Amino acid sequence: MSTETPHGGEAGASRSPYPHKTARDLGGLAIAVALFLFAALIAWDGATYPARRSYAQFGPEIFPYLVAAGLAIFGVATVLMALRNSFPEREPMNLPAVAWVIGAVLAETVLLYAGAGFILASGALFGFAARGMGRKPVWLTVLVGIGVSAVLYVLFKHGLSLSLPAGPLERVIDGAIRG
Amino acid sequence: MDTFGLLLEGLLVAAQPMNLAFALVGVLLGTAVGVMPGIGPALTVALLLPISLSFGATGSLIMFAGIYYGGMYGGAISSILLNTPGETASIMTAVEGNKMARDGRGGKALGAAAIGSFFGGTVGTLGLALVSPFMVKVALSFGPAEYFALMVLSFVTVSAAFGGSVARGLTALFVGLAIGLVGIDKLTGQARLSFGIPELRDNISIAIVAVGLFAIGETLFIASRKIGGDDKVEAIKGSVWLSWLDIRRIIPSYFRGAGLGFMFGPLPTGGAEIPTFLSYSAERKTARGVAREEFESDKGAIEGVAGPEAANNASAAGTLIPLLTLGLPTSATAAMMLAGFQQYGLQPGPLLFTNDPGLVWGLVASLFIANLMLVVLNLPFVGVWVRLLMIPRPWLYAGILTFATLGTIGAQGSVFALVLLLGFGLLGFVMRRFGYPLAPVLVGAILGPLAEEQLRRGLMINRGDWSFLVDSPIALTIYAIAAAALLGPSIWRMLASDKTKTVFAMDGD
Repeated sequence: MSTETPHGGEAGASRSPYPHKTARDLGGLAIAVALFLFAALIAWDGATYPARRSYAQFGPEIFPYLVAAGLAIFGVATVLMALRNSFPEREPMNLPAVAWVIGAVLAETVLLYAGAGFILASGALFGFAARGMGRKPVWLTVLVGIGVSAVLYVLFKHGLSLSLPAGPLERVIDGAIRG
Repeated sequence: MDTFGLLLEGLLVAAQPMNLAFALVGVLLGTAVGVMPGIGPALTVALLLPISLSFGATGSLIMFAGIYYGGMYGGAISSILLNTPGETASIMTAVEGNKMARDGRGGKALGAAAIGSFFGGTVGTLGLALVSPFMVKVALSFGPAEYFALMVLSFVTVSAAFGGSVARGLTALFVGLAIGLVGIDKLTGQARLSFGIPELRDNISIAIVAVGLFAIGETLFIASRKIGGDDKVEAIKGSVWLSWLDIRRIIPSYFRGAGLGFMFGPLPTGGAEIPTFLSYSAERKTARGVAREEFESDKGAIEGVAGPEAANNASAAGTLIPLLTLGLPTSATAAMMLAGFQQYGLQPGPLLFTNDPGLVWGLVASLFIANLMLVVLNLPFVGVWVRLLMIPRPWLYAGILTFATLGTIGAQGSVFALVLLLGFGLLGFVMRRFGYPLAPVLVGAILGPLAEEQLRRGLMINRGDWSFLVDSPIALTIYAIAAAALLGPSIWRMLASDKTKTVFAMDGD
C-alpha cells in the first residue's frame, strides 16, 4: 500500500513542503474563541424563551442547551488542537484572490440592494470572481459577466419563470420580450 | 415476488417520457459535474433544489438520483486523465487510472471504469430493491427512542468517517446542529436564534447552507491557493473497448468492488470513500502475475480502476437504502436528496413505501434506466466529457458562483439570502483551510431538527424521563455501533500506522 497521495487529498494533506511550525496556532485559537462565543450566544438565546409547563418538562430550550454544551466542549478540544499544533499545515494564502471573490459576492449584494437589477449585479459578481481566479482585465470579465447574466436572466425569468430582481436594464428586456 | 411486481409498476412510472427526460437531464448534469473538479453531486442537487420546485416530486427526485449516479461515472474521467478526482469517491481510481493514462492505456482505464460503474450500479440497485422492503418492515416497529438512536449513529459516523480528525468532524456536526436550530420551533412556535430578523424566523434554507459551504467556500479555497496552476490533461490513448483478456482480469474485481460498495453504502460511514479504499487494497493484495507487476511499476493495473469504480457506484445505491427506508442520509449527496424530499413535504421512511409506492419504486426503477443511459453516454462519448476539463478555471468558477447566486436569489426572493450565502461561504472556506469536513455540517443542519423532534416527542410520552432513550434493546445496539464507529477510525489508524496518511478530501461525495 504505497500511497501516492492523490491530488484530491489537498484539504487535509498531512505531508507538506512547508517548514514545521512550533509556535501556537493562533488561527486555531481564534476558531476556539468563535466556538465559545457561538455557544454562549445560543445559551443566552435559550435563556430568554418564556417558561412553559408541559408533559415533556422541557421546552424549546432543551436542544439549544445541548448544542451549546457540545460547541463549548469542542471549543476546549479546539484549544488543545491549537496548542498541540495538530491542525493540518496551511498553504500560504493568496489574499488578493480571496478578496476579489469575497468582493464579488459583496458587489452583487450591494448592487441588488441599490436596485441595479439582476443583470448588472450578477455581471459584477461574475467579473470580479473571474478576476480573482486570475483572468484580467477586470473590465473585460465584467462585460462577459453582464452578457452571461443577460442570457441567464432571459432563460430563467422567461423560460422557467424564476423571479429575479429587475432594474432598468431588465425592464427594457422584459418590455422587448412581451412587446 | 411482491417486490418484482412493485418494481415492474415502478418501471412503468420511470418509463413515462417526462421521467425519462428527467433521468437523462440528471445523468448528463451528473456526469458533467463529476468530471469537473471542485463541484460534486451534492452541490449540484443544492443548486437545483430551488429551480426544481416546478418539476414535481417524482421528476425531480429521479433527476437528483441521476445526478448522484452520473457523478460517480464522471468522477472517474477526471481521475484518470487529470489525476484530480472530481469527487472523493474517485480518489482511489486516480492512483492506477492516471498511471495507465500516462502509459498510453487511458482508453482502457476509462472503459473499465465505465463498465465497472455500470456493474456496481446495477448490482447495487438490485440489492436496494431486494433489501428495502425488509428494512421497511423492521423500521415500522421503531419509536422515538430507536429513531433518535439512529440519528445519533448517523451524526457520529458521518463526523468520524470524513476527514482526519474525529474532534474536527464532531465540531462541524455541532455547527450544523446549531444552524438547524435557527427559526420557529415546530412544537411551540418559539422563535430561536432569530434576533428579530424576519428572514431568520422562517428557518435557514438548507440549499443556502449547502451552496454557501460548497460553491462559495470551495471557490474561495481554490482562489486562496497560490500553487496549482494548470494541471496536465492526458489525451485519451487507445480504444475504450476492452479485450477479452482484460475482461477476464477485471470480472473478479468487479464482484469484489460491488460487494464492498454495497456492504458499506448503507452503513452510515459517510459515502464511498471507505469502500473504494478497501476495494483498492483488496485488488492490490490479490494481484498476481502481470497485474502484480503493473501495480508495482508505473504502468498501472486495470484491476485498480475496475474495483473502486464498481465499489463507488454500488455504494451510491447502498446509500439510498437508509435514505429511503429510514430517512437517514449517510453522505452529503444523500443529505441533499433528503432536503429534496422535504421540499415536497415528503418524509422518506417506512410510511413513504406504503403511502407513495409509485414514487419510491419509480425512483428505484429509474436508477436502472439511468445506469443504462450512463454506460452509453460514457463509452462512445467519453471524448465529449473530456472537453469539459478544458474550460479555463476563471470562467468555470465565475460561472459556478453566478449560477449559485442566481438560484439563491430566485428561490428566496430576498437579497438577504446573499448575505447568508456569503456567511456560509466564509464558514466553509475557514473550515476547509483548517481541515474541518463539511458534510457533517449539512447532515447536522438537516437531521438536527428531526432528531430534536424525536427526542422531545419521546420526552413528552415519558413525561420528561430521559431513561426511555436507553430502555430499548434496539436503541442500545445502535448506540453500541455508534461507539464502535467513533473509536473505529483511531483503532484503524493505529493498526495501519503510517500507511493511512492518505487523508481523504472532505467535500462530501
